[in-house]
Amino acid sequence: MAESSEGEEEGKLVGGDQQLVVDDDLCEMAKKAAWSVSSCKPGNGVLSLRDDNLDTYWQSDGAQPHLVNIQFQKKLVVLYVDFKLDESYTPSKISIRAGDGFHNLKEIKAIELVKPAGWVYISLSGNDPRETFVNTFMLQIAILSNHLNGRDTHVRQIKVYGPRPNPIPHQAFQFTSREFITYSTVR
Amino acid sequence: MEAILTECVQNSLRHFMYRNAIFMCERLCAEFPSETNSQLLAVCYLQNNQAYSAYHILKGNHMAHSRYLFAQSCFKMDLLNEAEAALCPPNESSAEIPNGAAGHYLLGLIYRCTDRRKSAIYHFNQALSLDPLLWAAYEELCILGAAEEAATVFGDAASLCIQKQHLPHGLGSKSMQASAEDQGLISSRNVGAEDLSPRHLKNIHGNSQRDAAGNYHSAPQPGGTGSQPLNGGPTTLSFYSTPSPMAAASQLSGVAPPPICRNMQINGPNSCATGADSSPRSTVNSTIQAPRRKFVDEGKLRKVSGRLFADSAPRRSIRLATGDSVANTNSNVSTVSGNGTNHSSKYLGGSKIATGSVRPVTGRKGQSWSNENFDEGIKHDGYDDSRNSSTTCSSPSSESRSLDQEGPTSAAGVCLSGSRVAVGASDLLALLRILGEGYRLSCGYRCQDALDVYVKLPQKQYNTGWVLSQVGKAYFEMVDYVEADHAFNLARLASPYSLEGMDVYSTVLYHLKEDMKLSYLAQELISTDRLAPQSWCAMGNCYSLQKDHETALKNFQRAVQLDSRFAYAHTLCGHEYVALEDFENGIKSYQSALRVDTRHYNAWYGLGMVYLRQEKFEFSEHHFRMAFQINPRSSVIMSYLGTALHALKRNKEALEIMEKAIMADKKNPLPLYQKANILVTMENFDGALEVLEELKEYAPRESSVYALMGRIYKRRDMYDKAMLHFGLALDMKPSATDVATIKAAIEKLHVPDEIEDNL
Repeated sequence: MAESSEGEEEGKLVGGDQQLVVDDDLCEMAKKAAWSVSSCKPGNGVLSLRDDNLDTYWQSDGAQPHLVNIQFQKKLVVLYVDFKLDESYTPSKISIRAGDGFHNLKEIKAIELVKPAGWVYISLSGNDPRETFVNTFMLQIAILSNHLNGRDTHVRQIKVYGPRPNPIPHQAFQFTSREFITYSTVR
Repeated sequence: MEAILTECVQNSLRHFMYRNAIFMCERLCAEFPSETNSQLLAVCYLQNNQAYSAYHILKGNHMAHSRYLFAQSCFKMDLLNEAEAALCPPNESSAEIPNGAAGHYLLGLIYRCTDRRKSAIYHFNQALSLDPLLWAAYEELCILGAAEEAATVFGDAASLCIQKQHLPHGLGSKSMQASAEDQGLISSRNVGAEDLSPRHLKNIHGNSQRDAAGNYHSAPQPGGTGSQPLNGGPTTLSFYSTPSPMAAASQLSGVAPPPICRNMQINGPNSCATGADSSPRSTVNSTIQAPRRKFVDEGKLRKVSGRLFADSAPRRSIRLATGDSVANTNSNVSTVSGNGTNHSSKYLGGSKIATGSVRPVTGRKGQSWSNENFDEGIKHDGYDDSRNSSTTCSSPSSESRSLDQEGPTSAAGVCLSGSRVAVGASDLLALLRILGEGYRLSCGYRCQDALDVYVKLPQKQYNTGWVLSQVGKAYFEMVDYVEADHAFNLARLASPYSLEGMDVYSTVLYHLKEDMKLSYLAQELISTDRLAPQSWCAMGNCYSLQKDHETALKNFQRAVQLDSRFAYAHTLCGHEYVALEDFENGIKSYQSALRVDTRHYNAWYGLGMVYLRQEKFEFSEHHFRMAFQINPRSSVIMSYLGTALHALKRNKEALEIMEKAIMADKKNPLPLYQKANILVTMENFDGALEVLEELKEYAPRESSVYALMGRIYKRRDMYDKAMLHFGLALDMKPSATDVATIKAAIEKLHVPDEIEDNL
């Protein structure tokens, strides 16, 4: 049962989502991860997915489903996945799986995009507050089908976000008030 | 012909016409090759910031002054071994250090840069004893943590010493000595936070030969930047005083334009020396517009411009080689009347500087030492090569004047009587004493005491850039950022072009989260001087405040490249690496900072934090303890030390330290919070709740307080209260992680704790 992800309807996407806006207490997690794709057209490889350049894109070149694999060195907590999409070759059904490696991936989210344009935020939280973050070694984004039943897909960028670690180590909760923060570090 | 050429060269140097000077000097050396002439040539090159040329010219020369100049060039080129060998030849252990105090000072710097603390201390002390006005040496001692009380250093012995120097005697004396002294003196004096401008002026002036004897008054003393009393006299300063960037001129800025100096002659290069070049620091007296020489970096020749030598010149013998610019302007510190320290060292009598030889002008390189009166204490923030702020004291002209020159120093023919010198010397020393004591206390992090001392300064001295930024730093160390902001603001107003202490100011603004002000400051600093590490530190802080750690790191790395002896830049790099979770590089950066300055407690703290994060608690405790020993009054350090002890399960000791931290600074809520944490671990829930209630009063919008209370109530099975507090915690808008944790805690409210992950 595909659910629409938030903001994928045209109405919601237009406007704010042309820019990527993320909460301050989140940071991009996948800089040190190993990214790989199931197939690509020459010149439009996996690098284009991560180059912060919205003009370059990854184009797949094989049979569906197309897979983007993200492997982390240590268990990472992930909250959002952002897609920047195109009009043509746009994915429509996406499944996100998580696990320890290729052998035990389990689907944690499946969504269907309806006419997306711009950044799509896919929150990986479950309903249970305990599952706000996904703690995992590997994330796999599977593109099951495209718009208009196209064979290949374009994705311009993918970013993975998780919470910022507490700047003060060995501390259960982060500080919020100015008085605490002022005294909390020596610079 | 030789005399003509020499005169021409010196004249060119005096007027900053380096190309001409170099050309003419080369003719001179070709026509009459002699060591003195090659010294002159070297001076020309040093003044023009071409230390490498000077290096090649002087290599192998053995005259004392040559060795000194050679050492200066090596120091600028970072060839510390050779510099050391030149000043202190290994096979002649009893050889005398050239240039007296200046030489000792330079040697001290070299030892400091190569980590030989005891030798460095020894030489700085020597320098000070030879020239009590060598503020820069005193400053270095404070930084190394080995300074004696200012009262002893700038006491009676010093007074006698100065008087001796300034009484006219032999003019010809090679300015060298004078310079050295001047520098020393001036530096010391200047170090005082002289008024901003005056200081700078002073320094600048200092160098410049203020020969203008007599009139010195230029530095309206006290406050005034000792503008160097330009000695009107013929101060032939021909010395090119080492390129001390002394912007001696700069010194003048600010404070009153050299008053009445009659002859205000800014002796040649000396004035220039105001180290202005080097760091925009201090020299930047706003007012002083003296041409900042950009020598600075290299030759710290400090000109002790203070010399008020009214009389011509003896100014500042080119301090050339003297390291850090102690621009000991020969300035006869004559009569240092109160104003700045008279560096009279050199003044030996009107000394005709003209002696073909280069009079070491006490140019201050790099440092803009305040002229005479003002202790310019150019306080470098960084441990830059000791730009010693040679605060040259510009001696109150009149007196100096007389001393100086017999010769042309026009000094208006003022005869400085011995008593005037004495009075001047004692006034100057009194000023230096306050400044020195204040600086020493603030280096020992006894900030409240330091502030009390600075308050004793006369108004005009207090309102100078140096003093105000010291005051700002003292407040910063006491974690009173608002006051620090205020003080630094005044400092900027007093001397808008000074970069000294501005990196600390940027950190203050960072803590206060004033991003507008911070970015404005950073922009201004960069436009003032793109080559100063402080500007890039400020820029980096600006980006870091916006959480753009990568760009911030780039900026800090630039600062490091510009001056690798600036410890704070290394520490800031370390902080950024840690924010980017690159712990290895972070540790490396902190260790570089410590290599530059072992007493930089921020770096010790940084290392402690890294190890805390990596859960290497033993290391962490050790490093926090080192930081604590250096700065035993910081409540933040104490609270982290307590946290580390807590992590090592040494709860009792942890609690003790926390108590101390709480006592040390009532406004710091962190130790209380940590104390509550420790009490929870020790299962003393009531105690913890009490503490947290107190905290609630102090910081009512802090979510972590409520969250912790919620947890405690849960442990006590008081579910209603727990729920209430968790709810309150959520209301305070904590971060996403905490929201998750708190929500999870709410869900599991009725689940026993053992199963709970978090607890």
